[in-house]
Order: sequence, then C-alpha cells, then structure tokens
Amino acid sequence: MPATDFQESSSSPSSFGFSILSRRRDQVHSMESTHEATSQEIELEAFQRQVAERFQDLAAADSHELLSIPWIRKLLDTFLCCQEEFKVIVMNNKSKLNRPPMERHISDFFERSVKALDVCNAIRDGIEQIRQWQKQLEIVLCALGNQRSIGEGQFRRAKKALVDLAIAMLDEKDSNTTLAHRNRSFGRHNAQREQRSFGHFRSLSWSVSRSWSAARQLQAISSNLVAPRGNEIISTNGLNVAVFTMNYVLLFVMWALVAAIPCQDRGLQTHFYMTRQFLWAAPILSLHERILEEVKKRDRRNSCGLLKEIYDIEKCARHMNELTDSIHFPLTDEKEREVKQRVEEVRRVYVAIRDGLDPLERQMKRRKMIWATVLGIKRVKSLNLLDGPSYLLKKLQFSPYQKKNIEQLKGIDTIIAKSKQAKNPTTAQRVNTPGALERPRLAEDLSSVYNPSLMQMLGAAKRASNFILFKDLWPPNSLKSKGK
Amino acid sequence: MERTPLDKHNSFRQNDQTSTSSSAHDGHSRHCSDYETNDSSGRAQIANEVDQFLDVLSAIDDKSSGLAEVPDIVPAFAKVIESEIIMYNSGEANRKFGKVAEEDSFFMESVRRISKLTNALSEFSSNTNASLLNHTSAALQRAMAFLEDEFRVLLDGNDHCDGEVSSQNLKKFLSFNSKHDQPDRSAVQRDSDPGDLDEYPPYPAETVARMHEIAKTMILAGYETECYQVYFFSRRNAIRNKMIKMEFDVILNMDEVVKMSWEQLEIEISRWINVVRTCSEIIFPGEKRLAESVFAESPLTRNNLLSNIVRIVVIQLLDFAEATAMAKRSAEKLFKYLDMYEALQNLIPAIDGESCPSEVMSEVAAAVDRIGESVVSIFCDLENSIKSDTARTPVPGGAVHPLTRYVMNYLKYASEYKDTLEKVFGKQTELAKKYIPSVSDKLSAQELEKESESPHNFETMVSTTPFSIQVVTVMDLLDVNLDKKSKLYKDPSLRCLFLMNNGRYILQKAKGSPEIRQVMGDTWCRRRSTVVRLYHKNYQRETWNRVLHCLSHDGLLTNGKVNKPLLKERFKIFNTTFDEIHRTQSTWVVSDEQLQSELRISISAVVIPAYRAFVGRFRQYLDPGKQVDKYVKYQPEDIEGLIEGLFEGNTSSMSRRKT
Repeated sequence: MPATDFQESSSSPSSFGFSILSRRRDQVHSMESTHEATSQEIELEAFQRQVAERFQDLAAADSHELLSIPWIRKLLDTFLCCQEEFKVIVMNNKSKLNRPPMERHISDFFERSVKALDVCNAIRDGIEQIRQWQKQLEIVLCALGNQRSIGEGQFRRAKKALVDLAIAMLDEKDSNTTLAHRNRSFGRHNAQREQRSFGHFRSLSWSVSRSWSAARQLQAISSNLVAPRGNEIISTNGLNVAVFTMNYVLLFVMWALVAAIPCQDRGLQTHFYMTRQFLWAAPILSLHERILEEVKKRDRRNSCGLLKEIYDIEKCARHMNELTDSIHFPLTDEKEREVKQRVEEVRRVYVAIRDGLDPLERQMKRRKMIWATVLGIKRVKSLNLLDGPSYLLKKLQFSPYQKKNIEQLKGIDTIIAKSKQAKNPTTAQRVNTPGALERPRLAEDLSSVYNPSLMQMLGAAKRASNFILFKDLWPPNSLKSKGK
Repeated sequence: MERTPLDKHNSFRQNDQTSTSSSAHDGHSRHCSDYETNDSSGRAQIANEVDQFLDVLSAIDDKSSGLAEVPDIVPAFAKVIESEIIMYNSGEANRKFGKVAEEDSFFMESVRRISKLTNALSEFSSNTNASLLNHTSAALQRAMAFLEDEFRVLLDGNDHCDGEVSSQNLKKFLSFNSKHDQPDRSAVQRDSDPGDLDEYPPYPAETVARMHEIAKTMILAGYETECYQVYFFSRRNAIRNKMIKMEFDVILNMDEVVKMSWEQLEIEISRWINVVRTCSEIIFPGEKRLAESVFAESPLTRNNLLSNIVRIVVIQLLDFAEATAMAKRSAEKLFKYLDMYEALQNLIPAIDGESCPSEVMSEVAAAVDRIGESVVSIFCDLENSIKSDTARTPVPGGAVHPLTRYVMNYLKYASEYKDTLEKVFGKQTELAKKYIPSVSDKLSAQELEKESESPHNFETMVSTTPFSIQVVTVMDLLDVNLDKKSKLYKDPSLRCLFLMNNGRYILQKAKGSPEIRQVMGDTWCRRRSTVVRLYHKNYQRETWNRVLHCLSHDGLLTNGKVNKPLLKERFKIFNTTFDEIHRTQSTWVVSDEQLQSELRISISAVVIPAYRAFVGRFRQYLDPGKQVDKYVKYQPEDIEGLIEGLFEGNTSSMSRRKT
C-alpha cells in the first residue's frame, strides 16, 4: 500500500538527507533569524515530501496501470502539482533567487522548462497521431459493429481500415528511427493512388522542426543535472535542492511522456543521474527501471510508444486482421460469435482511447503552467528593479503615481500568491491528507476571465513605416551625438 | 453456396473485381447482361425494380426470418455498379468520373440506392440473405473506395479542372438530384464563382459541387469517417503547403525562438504576423466556405472537421507566440509585440463560431493575454530605463535631453497603438480588480488622492483610461528625471532654460500627436504651457532682473542732481553684465524656433525700452565724445541685434560680437 509507505516516510524526516544538512546549517548559523529560517525550511522540506508522496503513489501502479492513459494523466497531475508548489517557493524567495548562485540555477531551470515545452509540443502531435488511429478503429466499428448481419463488403471495409491503421502505425515507427525527408507531394495519378493514401497518413509534425529529436532534447534537459553538494545547499539555504528536485521531476516526466507517446525520434537512452539522497529518488528511479523493462519486452521493442492503449490497438487490430483473413461465407455461428467478441474488444479499446485522450490533451495544455512558472521566474527578475528596496527608497522619490503603477504591475504576482494561499491548504495540512491531489486551477481561471471582443483593424501599414523611423532613433545613445 | 475468401489486401478494383462477380454469381449472368446496358430505359427499369424490392424489405416486420423470394435484381444491380466502376477506371480519358454528367449522376444515384439496399439487408438476421448482402455490401464497399479516391483526387488536385467540363455539363451534373438539393446548389454556386480560381481554396465551382455530391453520398452510406479522414488530411496538407508557400515552412522550436537574436526574431515575427493574417483573412474563412459547401447537409461533420483543422493550425501558431512572449524583452520590441497582439485579436473573430472548440478559443485568448503581459512589462521597462538614466553630465547649452526625445518619440509611436494599449492595460487592471476586490477600491481611491499631488496634473483629468494612466506615469517619471537633471546646471537661468526647452519639446510632441493629445487631454496641455511659461518667467527674472536693476533710475538723482560717478558705474555694470550674458547665453540652445523668438521678443520687450529710456535720460549727463563712447557702449539698436544672437548654441559667438 502506498499510503503506509509515505506515512512512514513522512513520520521519519531524519532519513532525509536534506533536512539533516539544513539542521547542521542551523547549528552553524544560529545567529540568523531562526524563526524565518525554520519557516522556509518547513516549506522546503514539505516540498520534498510532497514530491516523494506523489511519486510513491505513481509507483504504486501495477503493471496493467503503468503507462496507461489514466496513469499518464496521473503523472501529469503530479507534475503540475509539484510545479505549483515549486512556484509558491519561488514566489516566497524572490529576493534570494535573484542573487548568485541561485540566479544561475533558476535560469538553468528556465532553459530546461523551455526545452520541455518543445517535448510537450511533440507529444501533442503524438496524441494527434493516436487520434487518427482511433479513427480507423471507428471505421472497423462502423463496418462490423452495428449490423444484425454482416456481408462481405463490410468485412472488406473493416479490412481496409485495418490496413490503413497498420500503415499509419508502421509509418510512425519509421519516423521514429529515421528522420528521412517526408515526401508530401504525391502525384495524383491512378497508378499512385495507393501510395497517395499512404502519404495521407504520414504524420506531419506540426509543432517541432523536422530535424528535432526527442532523444536529443531529453539529453539536453538531463545534461549537467547533478545533485547539489552539501556546501552549496548550505550557502543557498536549501533552495537549490528545490530547484534540483523540480528539474529532476521535469526530466523524468518528459522522459516518461516520450516513452509512452509517439513522437519524433524517440530515444530513451537518456542518462538518469542516480541519486538516493532524496526521498523522491527511490520511487522515480523505480518507475524509470520499470519503464525501461517495458521497453525491453519483446512485443514492445518496436512499438511507436509504450502507452498501454497503443499496445491494445496493435493487439486488437492483429486479432481482427487474423479474423477477417479467416472469414468464409456464409458465416458459421461460431465465426459470428467470434466476430462479435472481437468487435467488442475493438470497442473497448476505442472507448478507452476516446475517453482518455481528450482529458489527457487538456492536461497537456495545462503544461502552460510550466510557462506560468517560467514567467513567474522572469518576473522575479524584472520586478527586482521595481521593488528592490534600495531602488524604491534611495534612487527615486516615487511620485504617488508611480507607486500606484508599481502596485498595478505587482498586482498579478500578488494575486497569484494570494489566491494560492487562499486555495491551497497549508503545507502542513496537505501532509496529513496524502493522495488528495488538489490542483490549483489558477492559470485556467486567469485565462477564462478574458472575454474576447472584436477589434477594429488599425492603420498597421502606417505604423510599420513609423516604426522604421522609430528604429532610426534607437538606441537612444545615437541621439546623444546630435541634439537636433 | 460458394465460400468466397476475402482478399488479403485492399484491392477492390479492376483485376480482382472480375473474379468475385463472374465466379460467384453465375446464376445471375443472364440478368447481368440484360441490365448491362447504357440506355436510359434499362436503367430506369433497374432503379424501379430495386426500389420496389426496397419497399418490400421495409414492409417486412419480422427481420429475423428470411426472405420468401430473392429477386435476381439485387446481384444484377450490384453488377451494374461494379461495371460502372470498371468503366471509370478503364483509363479512357473521356470515360473518367466527372466527364459525362449523365453517367455520373446515374452512378451516384445507384450508389445511394445500393447503400439503402445494404442497410436494409443488414437489418435481417444473418444467414437468411447472406448472399444478397454479400453482393450489395461488396458493391457498396467498392463504390465507396472508388468515391473516396475520387474525393481525394478532387481535394488534392488543385489543377484538376481541365476546362472540358462546360458549364452546361456542370448544370446537368448538378441536376441529377435537383429535387432535394435546390437550396444547397444555389449555395454552392454563390460561394464559388468559377471565375475565381485565385480564391482560396482554389477549387472551381464544379469541383466543389462534385465534392459535395461525393461527401453527401458517402455520409448517407455510413462512410462518414472515411470521408472525414480524406477531407481532413487533404485540407491539413493543403494548409501546410500554403504556409510553405508563405515561407512559414521551417517550424521553429520554442527553444530556438527563445534564444534567437532580436534581428532574427523580428523577421520571424513579421513572417508569423503575415501567416496569422492570412489565416484570419483567407484560410479560415475559405475553409469555412468550402466545408459549408461540401458538407452542406452535415453540420456536425462540418463543424468537427473545421474545428480540428482550425485547432491544428492555430495551436502551432500559438506555440510561436508563446515562445516569443518568453524571449527577452526590451523597449524596441514593443511595437512588434503590439502587432502580434493585434494579429491574434483579429484571429479570434475568424475562428469564432460553432465550429471552434472552446479550448482553442481560450488558448488564443490566453496567448493574447501573454503577449499583453509582455507589452505591459516592456512598458514597465521603459519606466525603468527612465528611472535608471542617471547620467551626471548635463547636456550642453540646456538643450532638449536625448532622454526626452527618446521617451516622447516612443510615446508618440506607442500612442498610435492607443486602442490596443488601452485594451492591454485595461486587461491587466481588470485582472487585478477581479482577483483582489479591495485593489479596485484602493486603486480608485489612490487615483483621486494622488492625482492632486502629481506635479503637472494637479487637476483631475477628464477621462482616466488605463493607458492614459500609463502615459501620465511615464511623463511624471520623465519630469522627475528632468528635474534631477536640471540640478546638474549650476546657473539657475540655464536650469530654467533646460526645463523650458524640455517642457516645450514635450508639449509640442504631445500636441503633434492627436493620440497623445487625446490621452492627456486639453487641460494637461494648458497646464504644461503654463509650466513652460513659468520657467520662461523664472529665466527672465534670473537673468534680466540684474540688468534691469542697473537701468533703474533709483538712487541716481540726489536732490535733483545726477550722481555722475554712480551713473558711470551703472553704465559700466550694465555693459559688463550684458556682455557676460550675451557671451554665455549665445552658446545656449533653444532649438524650438518659436520658443527662441518668443524668448528674444520678451527679452527685447523688457530690456530695450528700459535701456532706451535710461540712455535717453542720462546720456546728456555724460561728456559728449570720449565719455559717451566709453560708457554708452551700445546703442539700443545694437542691443536688439545682440539679443537676436542669443540661444543659437553658437560657441564662437564671442568673435562675432558687434562693436
């Protein structure tokens, strides 16, 4: 039971390397404002525990559940929750994150997040791909599913859909191994009709360039990802542990997505930095191992994705194919029963994909949470100029006008921070309710506020020419040379 | 009954066709040859018989038992359809599908009939009519596979129309189902004028009409998914090709965009804006028109297709917008971002409608917000760059500071995006108000209270819009900065001149831009004029009061007699003071011609009459000749000429001094 697992671990925080180190730090720097240090510490430790608990929950999945659409959704949920909590930490520690060495860690995280966005985009194409396969199953169901009696033509229709499905899936596998130029312009003569129908299924990548490679991207995300050393942890008050944790979670989630869902140049050889130092390391590494085992299984080795539902598609399509090949008319009662049985199998797979894919895709869209965090971090930087106390108090006597404006600009950050506090129970409460995955929906709320209205076109051309004029004035230094 | 194994492959055409029909249906060969005629009476007869059989079928309530009588007409009819397909596929140019309207209309009608027949037969439990169903369903499948291919050819081949299809043929083609299609046909004709081949999508009307017929038949026959797939892939690829034509073929990874140099990114943004505009103005409306024509009777399929096509295109476009919003921000990017904002805003009405999935809509809206956020933060950067401009060297001659020029030009161009900026800032305030209700109260309270403290805006502005607040903020910051810069001048006169120069520049720029003027309001303009005049007065006082003081008559007369030594002293002081002023102030700069002449006029108006009066009154007390020459160095006319030489920014003016 996962529940007992993490109750045990949360009740024994001494097993947790980070907290030991931070305690040691407290002993060294006892002159520091102890109260603040501990509240930050509680926050950081809670974060570690949250991440560990969530991944323990994921790792508790049995072999049927692992890599299924529901599991992937849970994985994304986990990721988004970790992300949210990380964001709170970022918000609470803006000033510290703005100074070296944290500044560098944060900008590393920013770069990794952007790389992860590209992975998400490629995965989105993969989901689109599965959707097309689902359509072929739909045809099979249309042909064989609803009639009282089935004629030869209907079997042919199903067969054709299965052939198309096989081509599409094969094509996807091809695209995984080779990045060959995809010929999109098939002729339109009858002789090439066969080929043209193949071409139609070819997966055009809409979201990443043709030379993009998921394997390389994962490598890039994983490069230089090593656990912080003890002295670094002390000098950053443990903040770099949080950043490292988030980086690691990001890497693992992206890796698992690439493992499960078809995407361009899949490759799972990414090196995972082995660490046992953190609570969450064990569940993540065990998942990593289990997924690698899946890859090695003989019937999955050439698969275009480890997603359980893809395997189901392959399996039911194979069964259906075998069945249609063995059909003779008139159908015997036994065959008819078998047909019904196989159709049901296809239907089950179809329904599972249909019901799973939409919410999954919606979740992928919430990857924009990554973006929000990224932006949050960027804002930490720009806001520094505004609300850094030295700036505010010394450099300028702000007119009330300017102060108000800063309030406005800071508004969004405050909102995020405040509604976060309002919506999320405190970390302490959350620890007591393991498994309760509340997902803050702030980003969605923010986007749903907007009510688009028509906007009239403006004199864009005019402005374009103005802009050229304006550019002549840029940079302002060039102005200094001559007054007029 | 014979057992016919299914083909392993997807081969329903030409070659294998013969084996199925000839071997399986020997019993019906007589009928087949009977019906296999192209004359219209034979066809009408077949159609009649099939329809009668359909009536019989639908009249049977108990579908579990077999049919009492199995007419020969069914296999014969299936054979007719298959031979039609053979004919179409024979490769003879003039027998292809779409060449002979009568042939096509007969074929399509037959296909619809056989799909009805197949559906009706499928209702019965198996084994009773297995052979009949095999005939009809196989013929139907063959016809559908054929139509699917034709559909694809029509969709993919932009240059498919080869002029041979006369408009008469088109009418005939359309008329084969005229009873039911009256409204749709007119729609098809209206929407795609055959003359507009340049239109998007570039299908001539007859092609669209044929696509419509095929789609209708396929959907009626229950082959909606196949039809959907062909259409979707074909249109998707067509849009992709269109984008490649627009040089948008290189998909940029977000990773790349974020790291791109601004020069490069600027080009990409322009390209992107171009594509977004094409999408909202041409591609999406065109796709909508096409889908409405082709799927006139199937709104559900149509909306599904459209929403998927829109989704796949829009999402890709949004990726770039998102990545751009993440790129490093700086002031010069503002205008490109605003262009992006507007392009995305205009995309919304183009995709709005029942066919647009709400999540795509909300993603577009979210992207719009994100770009808006970038705009706001860029504007905020402008504020920062004003604040951080703390150079310690004053501009020579009290001229307009480059910062003033920069900020005002920036505002001028920005204000041309006024409506967009209003939206952007309005949105931010709206968000702030929505999430913290207390903020809105605070904001409005602050507005009222603080406006009165703002140095140049102490009267409540007529209309306070979010953008005007921004502009006022920037102006205020500029004022604060200029005020600090003015302190770098030790000479109070020059300080006034500097403030006057910059104030004047700001005012002129604001007046020169209708948008800024509108944003700031007339009151503000008046107020600023007053402030500039105030500096003018201060300048005049600082510089010329000294001069006027020497020219005052006070103390020169004691008991009605002129105090000569004092008079001489006064003349001497006047000469040196005036020389000194002239020497320094002709190096000062007033580049605004009007201000320059206003200044000179006002100085002349004060100094010359006073001097004239002074000289006129006291010259007589000086000994004519040497003494007059010595003390009355300048004639009043000379003074006027010298005043004309002030504020030229001329460092060599001393040499030009008149004597």
